[in-house]
Amino acid sequence: MKGVIFNILEELVIEEAGMPTWNAILASLQLKGIYTAGHSYPDEELMALVQEISIRLALPTPKVIGHFGEYLFRQLNQRYPEFTAQQPDLKRFLLSVHDVIHVEVNKLYENPNLPTFSYHQPADNILVMQYQSPRKLCILAEGLVRGAAQYYDTEIHMTHPVCMHQQADHCDLVIEFLSSKVTL
Amino acid sequence: MSETEAYKAAYQREKQARLAAEQLLEVKTRNLFLANQQLLDQNSQLKEQQALIIRTEKLATLGTLAAGVAHEINNPLAFVLSNMESLKRYVEAYNTLLKLGHRWLTEQQLTEQQTSQLQDLIKQQDLDFICEDVAELLSDTDQGLIRLRDIVQGLRNFSHDGNNERIQYNLNEGLNSTLKILQSELKNNIKVNCQLATIPITKCNPGELNQVFLNLIMNACHALSETRDAQIDISTDTEDDSIVIRIKDNGSGIPETVLKSIFDPFFTTKPVGQGTGMGLSIAYGIIQDHKGSINVSSTEGQGSCFEIRLPVEA
Repeated sequence: MKGVIFNILEELVIEEAGMPTWNAILASLQLKGIYTAGHSYPDEELMALVQEISIRLALPTPKVIGHFGEYLFRQLNQRYPEFTAQQPDLKRFLLSVHDVIHVEVNKLYENPNLPTFSYHQPADNILVMQYQSPRKLCILAEGLVRGAAQYYDTEIHMTHPVCMHQQADHCDLVIEFLSSKVTL
Repeated sequence: MSETEAYKAAYQREKQARLAAEQLLEVKTRNLFLANQQLLDQNSQLKEQQALIIRTEKLATLGTLAAGVAHEINNPLAFVLSNMESLKRYVEAYNTLLKLGHRWLTEQQLTEQQTSQLQDLIKQQDLDFICEDVAELLSDTDQGLIRLRDIVQGLRNFSHDGNNERIQYNLNEGLNSTLKILQSELKNNIKVNCQLATIPITKCNPGELNQVFLNLIMNACHALSETRDAQIDISTDTEDDSIVIRIKDNGSGIPETVLKSIFDPFFTTKPVGQGTGMGLSIAYGIIQDHKGSINVSSTEGQGSCFEIRLPVEA
């Protein structure tokens, strides 16, 4: 996992629980906590941090990951505003994740091990994002989608009927667009 | 400001500095990636051009060589062919003599001694067998010489050492007439999809260009021999003052190793005796002679596309 994800997790914990909590989490996991955006760190390290956070904040792990996903979207959007600037609405933004954003990420980082997304649209107001990744971080993807919906001021209803955590080979994130920001 | 607050402010500054440094690194990385991509593209373009230059040079050398060889073979071939005609007449004369001998023997017009001498001679020299066999020998030799003459003609065509008569011609007509010739070859299981646009009339040698079309379509047929839903797409178009003819099939395709030598004289993948390996090299020579270009793109298992570009000559 790229260091930028660790950096943003650190920012979230410091912002919501304070620097001493982050230091305590690092100390209890015996981690140095030095993360550089472009460098890769073991996935297990991120999962250990998330688990430790959920223990200390007494929150279920999926909830921490989902919340982190929303925060991650905001922070990534702050660092790379050009991707949302290119897309006028949430649906088009989500459709650009695989073919635009991930292509750009691949230019910057060697072997970023990105998830793959494929899409289908059973109705005009419904988008199914098919998620596949050996990391099985579908809950994080859910959080990122929610973060994007907040950014585009779009009300959505998201279900996750097919999940890799239930022995499926992929996850289906079914996103129903209930209302959307009207651009004049 | 308390010491904690001072450290917090310093931490924020450091964080901003780190973000700025990372952003700078990303800009540099992106630029490096793009520059590298550009270099890779240029490199592969250069390699392609280099291969093309080598191929063109090789074919030009082979053209000169072919013209020389054709000329050298053509002279002795001409007198061998002429001598063969005389020889056939001479053999016929000897056969008449033998027939006369047999008639005399049958009609018992000779003395006993003469009959015995003639019979001995016929038997000893096996003249009856020679008479039978010489006809076959002459016919085989004739066929061999005709094949040799075709090969020499092929070499001359490849090196543009031939008839250069040019007339105003519509290449669509050429393609249509070629397809008519090939009707029996195509009708069974190959679907031909023809999209011939209105193209300008151009000055060319129709016979030569039709030979190229015939060759390419025949090759496509051979490539389609084991293909289901076999299809040949033939199209003409005008692009940048050139007539573009594309002959595309969905057949077996051409392996990369073969692709490099496809226009070389005598290069063939067909079994011995089934192809001279001159077809595409002659096609190349003819197109070169018309100041055009012929290129092939192919994917194994998916098919090949030959593209001919000919400048419009008024």
